[in-house]
Amino acid sequence: MKLLERLLDRTRGAFAEGKRLHRTKPVFDAAENFFFAPISRAKSAPFVHDPLDIKRLMSMVIIAILPALACAVYFFGLHVLAMVVVSYAAGGIVEVLFAVVRKEEINEGFLVTGMLFPLILPPALPLWMVAVGVMFGVLVGKELFGGTGRNLFNPALVGRVFLALAYPAAMAGNWISPVAEPPGRILQYVSSGAVDAIAGATPLAAAKQGQLAGLQEMFLGNVAGSAGETSALAILLGGILLIMTRVASWRIVVGVLGSFLLMETVLHYTLPGPIPPPMWQLLAGGILFGAFFMATDPVTSPATTGGKWAYAIIIGLATALIRHLTGYVEGVMFAILLGNICAPLLDEVAVAVRLRRLAHES
Amino acid sequence: MKLRGGYTVQMAGKPVGSVEVLPDPDELYLPLFSRRFRFTELCVGDGDRVRPGKVLARDPSNHGVPLLAPREGTVRLNAIPRHLVLQNVSAGVPEPLEDSDEPSHIPRNLGSVEMKRNKLLLLGAWQYFFDAHSGALPNPFGTPQAVIVSTLNLEPFLGRGDVQLRARLKSFTRGLEQIQTLLEYQPIFLILPKVAAALAEQVSQAIRGYAHIKPVHVPLRYPFDNFTVLARYLGLKRQKDQPVWALRTEGVLALDRALTASKPCDLRVISIGGPAATSPAHVVAMPGYPLKTLLSKRIADGPVRVLNGGVLSGQEIAPDQAGLDCECLGITALGEQTEREFLAFVRPGAGRWSYSRCFLSALRRPMPERMTTAIRGEHRPCVSCGFCEEICPAGIMPHLLHKLLYQDDLEAAIKVRLDLCVACGLCSFVCPSKIDLCGQFQKAMETFRMEQMEHMAQEAPA
Ligand code: SF4
Ligand code: SF4
Repeated sequence: MKLLERLLDRTRGAFAEGKRLHRTKPVFDAAENFFFAPISRAKSAPFVHDPLDIKRLMSMVIIAILPALACAVYFFGLHVLAMVVVSYAAGGIVEVLFAVVRKEEINEGFLVTGMLFPLILPPALPLWMVAVGVMFGVLVGKELFGGTGRNLFNPALVGRVFLALAYPAAMAGNWISPVAEPPGRILQYVSSGAVDAIAGATPLAAAKQGQLAGLQEMFLGNVAGSAGETSALAILLGGILLIMTRVASWRIVVGVLGSFLLMETVLHYTLPGPIPPPMWQLLAGGILFGAFFMATDPVTSPATTGGKWAYAIIIGLATALIRHLTGYVEGVMFAILLGNICAPLLDEVAVAVRLRRLAHES
Repeated sequence: MKLRGGYTVQMAGKPVGSVEVLPDPDELYLPLFSRRFRFTELCVGDGDRVRPGKVLARDPSNHGVPLLAPREGTVRLNAIPRHLVLQNVSAGVPEPLEDSDEPSHIPRNLGSVEMKRNKLLLLGAWQYFFDAHSGALPNPFGTPQAVIVSTLNLEPFLGRGDVQLRARLKSFTRGLEQIQTLLEYQPIFLILPKVAAALAEQVSQAIRGYAHIKPVHVPLRYPFDNFTVLARYLGLKRQKDQPVWALRTEGVLALDRALTASKPCDLRVISIGGPAATSPAHVVAMPGYPLKTLLSKRIADGPVRVLNGGVLSGQEIAPDQAGLDCECLGITALGEQTEREFLAFVRPGAGRWSYSRCFLSALRRPMPERMTTAIRGEHRPCVSCGFCEEICPAGIMPHLLHKLLYQDDLEAAIKVRLDLCVACGLCSFVCPSKIDLCGQFQKAMETFRMEQMEHMAQEAPA
């Protein structure tokens, strides 16, 4: 520890104003502040601060994603891990470049994006597509809006939409059928070249053909699908942690899942043709992963309490409607993006309502 | 409005309940400036020997509130800048209250109520009154719509009301009676803690017979003792000529002393607490008490920030302030951050108490933490986590205000009710992006008030 501190002290000079490496100072700062919290003292009241900072906040999200990642590796093999590494590397380059150009600090937000992104992709997607997708997502979804905190859309979803439009075939295939018996596929590396032999169909796609996956299979994760969405159990584990720690808003999760179940129930009993029951719908596809990890992204969801409810309900209803009334098998992605678009508007309405109430206060 | 938000910071260094009476010092350094007052109108000359209770100076912009000599001593005007020094201090015989000592703006024929109010002003008890909405000193001869008496002091760590009440319950209830005699029919709201405490029970018993006194029980959560928050809670609107008066326990005790015993209010109970205080306690001291003597042995060695007031809304004591000012409620000592924590954000954090539940400490009961001045993180853009809105006792939206002020849109910020902010500091405390929301709001309000005044000055001649 002392050694590291001394090393950092010694190298700091090389990044000083006027030195050749000065332009890459954000990289050095990020590395330094990663290891050692900086000294910064309060200048005016309040003189004490809560220990929570953005680094911790982001760490909690990453910890919460770990069970889902572990399940993905178990059921789909080591390729998923490679996707995470590539996503971090490619997204990191964009983030660092922008930090250097803008002379700002490197933001921790991309650590979450880089982790979430591969988990919403088909688990056998070629690595170069992962790289292209995450770069597009970070660049267009975030940096062009001015960086973390100012983006309108969830960058991971922007990247996924891009891939879905640019490489529809790859994004519609590349599903791997899982192996449940220990040790799963944990020792295998299934990339897109080898996928044909063991390709699987996602439960939602199979359902359109009239085959329903078992509830228990879906709960544990023994079904094909995007890497992270496979196991409802793992998602619930992480998601509940996020809600307990107040990192994710429980209102959003409850709102999305509640309205989704309600709409599914209505559709189940009104629409002609076989529509699987609501509980089945809840476990199939990405609705759980989306509700816990994607919709709750604080930056792209409304900031006001009222806005959060409305936003969540829009996402829940839209997901169900897209699933059954359009040609798409899964609707979470577009539903959340729709929610993102509405977020500023919903905030505005919520603020107006709040102001009406505050107007009488002196 | 209902009470909402609020949060009690868990911090080490809570003063114990006992009260220590300090011996008189040889010299007193009376600051001529404090948070509300500026005693610029001097009433004594250099070298004068003054008796206790003598008016040393007045604040002409605050209804002429006096700065009283707490003890007998020899005046030195220029010994220390911005201070009035009393040398060779001794107990002395109190200055008799002269009838002629009458500020010019009081009407000639004083009724008994006006006499009493005048007495309050002259004996230094009026300084304990606040306008609940603005925090300023109210006009002693005005008519309030109501009076709020708060027995609570919830900010860590200010002199607690219960500590002062314990020994002087009788004086307190007599003081409440006295307040009633200052009014016609206006209600007095007595703010009590919403917990089963023997003392609160005693107070409730004691005031049972008084029709005008309405007990109000509030949860013990900061800043529910804030007068503005309480006024809103009680539905008392801001009205131009009918302010809401507010005072704390010490104010009632001072008022009783002035009206019942006709004695000047020379002593204050203040707390000395905080993580860097070696033995947090309450002490009785007079204004002008030398800070050096007061704080020596009571504050830990090493770099320490000494605050006038609590950690959330206090102010740093200026290096040139030599003595206790006449408004001080407590002194808080906070260690400076000196160490850089290694990988702080991945540690479980069993010892870090947080509003969010992101640390292992969430699994245990609240525990006081040895905090420092560290802001504990790096500045980042707002991530709209919503904590600030949740915690804000004023019911406004700090993140939105921040966005508007960042765009320099003061007008829009006022529209979303920046003016309701009570400067409790909780939003800055809780923000994970370490944005100094509260400080930004204070500055913006300052600018707004200046603009308003300019505006009025422009309108006046037309
Ligand atoms: S607490 Fe800070 S980061 Fe969170 S919403 Fe408020 S200003 Fe933004
Ligand atoms: S906005 Fe004002 S009242 Fe609200 S939490 Fe911040 S400082 Fe306190």
